[in-house]
Amino acid sequence: MSIQEQYRKKAAELLSSGEVKLVIGYGSGSTPDRRRALFARTADDAALFHVDAACDANLSGYLVNEGLLSDKKKIGIFLKPEGIRSVNILAAESQLDPDQIVILGFTEENGTVSGLQGTQASDFTSLMTALKENRTTSEKEQALVDKIEAMTPQERFAFWQAEFEKCIKCYACRQVCPMCYCKRCIVDNNQPQWVHTSSHTLGNFEWNLVRAFHLSGRCVECGGCDRACPVNIPLRLINRRMANEVLDAFDHFSGMNQNQEPVLASFKKDDPETFIL
Amino acid sequence: MAKIGVFICHCGENIGAKIDCTRLTSAMNDHPGVSVSVEYKYFCSDPGQENVKKAIREHNLTGVVVAACSPRMHEATFRKACAEAGLNPYLCEIANIREQCSWVHTDQDMATEKAIEITRSLIEKVKLNNELQPIEVPVTKRALVIGGGIAGIQAALDIANAGQEVVLVEREPSLGGHMAQLSETFPTLDCSQCIMTPRMVEAAQHPKIRLLTYSEIEQVEGFIGNFKVRIRQKSRYVDMKACTGCGDCIQKCPQKKISDEFDCALGKRPAIYTPFAQAVPNIPVIDKEHCTFFKNGKCKVCQKVCETNAINFEMQDEFLDLEIGAIVVATGFQIQNTAMYGEYGYGKYADVITGLQFERLASASGPTAGKILRPSDGKEPQTIVFIQCAGSRDPSKGVKYCSKICCMYTAKHAMLYAHKVHGGKAHVFYMDIRAAGKGYDEFTRRAIEEDEAAYMRGRVSKVWLENGKLMVRGVDTLLGKPVEIAADMVVLATAITPQPDAREFAKVVGIGCDEYGFYNEAHLKLRPVETATAGIFLAGACQSPKDIPDSVSQASACASKVIGLFSRDQLEREPVIAINNESTCSGCWGCALACPYNAIEKKDILSRSGELIKQVAFINPGLCQGCGTCVTFCRSNSIDLAGFTEKQIFAEVMGL
Ligand SMILES: Cc1cc2nc3c(=O)[nH]c(=O)nc-3n(C[C@H](O)[C@H](O)[C@H](O)COP(=O)(O)OP(=O)(O)OC[C@H]3O[C@@H](n4cnc5c(N)ncnc54)[C@H](O)[C@@H]3O)c2cc1C
Ligand code: SF4
Ligand code: SF4
Ligand code: SF4
Ligand code: SF4
Repeated sequence: MSIQEQYRKKAAELLSSGEVKLVIGYGSGSTPDRRRALFARTADDAALFHVDAACDANLSGYLVNEGLLSDKKKIGIFLKPEGIRSVNILAAESQLDPDQIVILGFTEENGTVSGLQGTQASDFTSLMTALKENRTTSEKEQALVDKIEAMTPQERFAFWQAEFEKCIKCYACRQVCPMCYCKRCIVDNNQPQWVHTSSHTLGNFEWNLVRAFHLSGRCVECGGCDRACPVNIPLRLINRRMANEVLDAFDHFSGMNQNQEPVLASFKKDDPETFIL
Repeated sequence: MAKIGVFICHCGENIGAKIDCTRLTSAMNDHPGVSVSVEYKYFCSDPGQENVKKAIREHNLTGVVVAACSPRMHEATFRKACAEAGLNPYLCEIANIREQCSWVHTDQDMATEKAIEITRSLIEKVKLNNELQPIEVPVTKRALVIGGGIAGIQAALDIANAGQEVVLVEREPSLGGHMAQLSETFPTLDCSQCIMTPRMVEAAQHPKIRLLTYSEIEQVEGFIGNFKVRIRQKSRYVDMKACTGCGDCIQKCPQKKISDEFDCALGKRPAIYTPFAQAVPNIPVIDKEHCTFFKNGKCKVCQKVCETNAINFEMQDEFLDLEIGAIVVATGFQIQNTAMYGEYGYGKYADVITGLQFERLASASGPTAGKILRPSDGKEPQTIVFIQCAGSRDPSKGVKYCSKICCMYTAKHAMLYAHKVHGGKAHVFYMDIRAAGKGYDEFTRRAIEEDEAAYMRGRVSKVWLENGKLMVRGVDTLLGKPVEIAADMVVLATAITPQPDAREFAKVVGIGCDEYGFYNEAHLKLRPVETATAGIFLAGACQSPKDIPDSVSQASACASKVIGLFSRDQLEREPVIAINNESTCSGCWGCALACPYNAIEKKDILSRSGELIKQVAFINPGLCQGCGTCVTFCRSNSIDLAGFTEKQIFAEVMGL
């Protein structure tokens, strides 16, 4: 049985047995090689699920839709390793109860999809450790990161200025990100207006820097924002740089487990710096 | 409409010489919203303050900006002046044009420009200031003193003598701490126990002091004036009410060979024991680990001989929950284990001992009744080598800092030895002699000149046993020669270190430690007895190595802080605290983790029918110290700091 068949069957069982009230997965998209989110509520719906290399979105963001989990019922969801990491973060940040999430895990390599063992976020601990140990970047991407890193600050500023110039402040990058769950985003606060909404250099830098900071130590590099950006700003490079930074400085790999403390909010009392209590 | 008064101070020459105050004044007069702008030589003087008050009344001001020195100097002065003129004190802001401008610039034009900008930005801020009222919190007038050494006892007595309640908690079976172990004390050579025991008895009998020995602090919650403390009273297995302290049980206990901690392993004690003869309270405890009954299930000899039936093997630890207004931490020190210096042979040769062991040998109540005798064979040593800084000032193996008291007690040991063993020869190896203190240098001179201790500046490289002698090889750096001394005993002035559990304990209490584990004061010079946590104070050697006079002074200083705190029924706190916007909070708890004062709790938001809608962060105004950490953390921008709101800061920045 193909992996797609197995998972359709599994989803149907979950729904018909009443174990979950809903399964979030991938259905057909606007073109044959695209997938969009599919919300299955009956065993029949489950037959419409696709599990293949085209399933790229990180669906975990749907879990924090207001009220979705408040009835304490379980929800099944198709997730790749990044998605499992984001569930861990959402759990660590009290946005969901991980016991309510039944994971249908899969991973994709060179176009081939294979299933992952486990159904609870906590079942994937060894996978998370392996991911942390073997962080991979495509050669093309690493070359770009290296190139930017080698630039002088002026060159780097010019590079990003040119990139950010394209930003139209559509906030698609924010909407797609599972970690951007705040009911009110700082950019929506206009009393005072810290982040300018106009698409000028200052406003564009403000927005993209704030986004980078708010996601440092939290971004799981699912690539959602990068794919969502209508003007193709290479947001993945920023994400990668931040991930490198927190890993090197704090040994922090986002979404390792459900008890992970946010890297920018946790401190150790035995820190040698005296400003720490 | 804003009616702001701007008061530009010359601070004599301090500001006036570098900034064109007249230009600054007229520029401010032209700024929108400013009703009056005046300059004056010293606004902090009485006539200066009168000026401000008069302007507030005459112009009906809605805000005041004083352009002067740092707000750390005179913010309080001017806020008070405003309040006296009927303006809410929090409508007064200080523009720092001294430390941040005139003192650091040389060009008058540019400095004036900058002063204009600074003052303008504060005007913009003050326009958005709100009237704030100080927060009042009630004070529980009961102090907790942790540690029953001389520092803790002194603090407890001073507070109690001022008529306030004290709970004094000591984890050992008796009060006393290290001072009870000492023989005679520098610089006066009075007997330690003789001056210590009256204090111990006074503390135990004081009607205002509740003494809890053999007890430990389990948990501290709350905040200044309102701490909640949980104390564990460890079971002694002896009923404190029934026991008369006759000591029959101690006599009859079959376990007699337990190494005595109080005598630093130089003596032996039974399993049921009091640490020393004058122990307060004079009630024994059973050392469960060594008791035959607890080990083998048979014995209970002590129970049989006890005439008052005080011994109870079923006794359990008990917990006490107390409300406390202020805490004095006086948990003292430990001496470093010098076994890490293999070359000194501590732990290998019985006659290489620590200074504290020497105290026990020299003490009349010690294992040798005050005779200086070698632990190995009980013979009187004819030559003793004292090694100072055996651990202190040694960044590689020991500790970096100076332990402060060892120069003094080594001189004392050399003297006591000379007095007790006539003809005995004391050699002292030292790095420097640090004898600063009243009567201290005279004291070390006496050891050298009258009691003929041979002081040698240099280090010891090796101690070994040869033909029954401890051979000490060192160097006399003043002569530039190696020396070798055949000694009968070697005494190491070991380093004073924090209690081994100090770091853990600091977390329980909620205070900070320095890099070594000594507790941190709020400010080394200006607030040496306060900690960064309001309402918690430090006394004695738990803060840094200290001798008795220093420990006692600091304890009394702590007491005065506590008494000052208890002199009021309500505490007024600055209203600068964080406030959370519950409608935008996403309940991520990042702020709660980030808050160094544990001021943030979860709060349930319920619907009318009582169902949980969401959980949000709630900032306890009594605990919040207004540090602003949470404000910077909150991604949804939900937290604001009263007195420094985002709108105010934004206006201030945009005013530049
Ligand atoms: C060898 C030697 C000789 C000395 N000679 C002199 C001298 O001649 N003259 C002089 O001025 N000074 C002398 N000193 C220094 C003197 O001992 C100290 O200054 C003094 O003991 C400090 O008192 P303290 O109360 O701060 O600490 P300590 O005496 O250490 O008392 C601390 C107390 O707190 C208790 N405690 C610790 N942790 C806890 C806890 N978590 N809960 C409850 N209780 C706790 C301990 O059991 C102890 O009873 C000497 C020191 C040494 C080592
Ligand atoms: S920032 Fe982009 S890559 Fe990172 S978790 Fe959010 S959507 Fe995914
Ligand atoms: S998705 Fe792209 S264009 Fe839209 S706000 Fe984000 S960075 Fe700007
Ligand atoms: S950090 Fe902000 S959003 Fe998160 S719980 Fe605190 S107040 Fe709420
Ligand atoms: S301002 Fe500081 S003390 Fe107050 S709640 Fe925020 S982090 Fe805690």
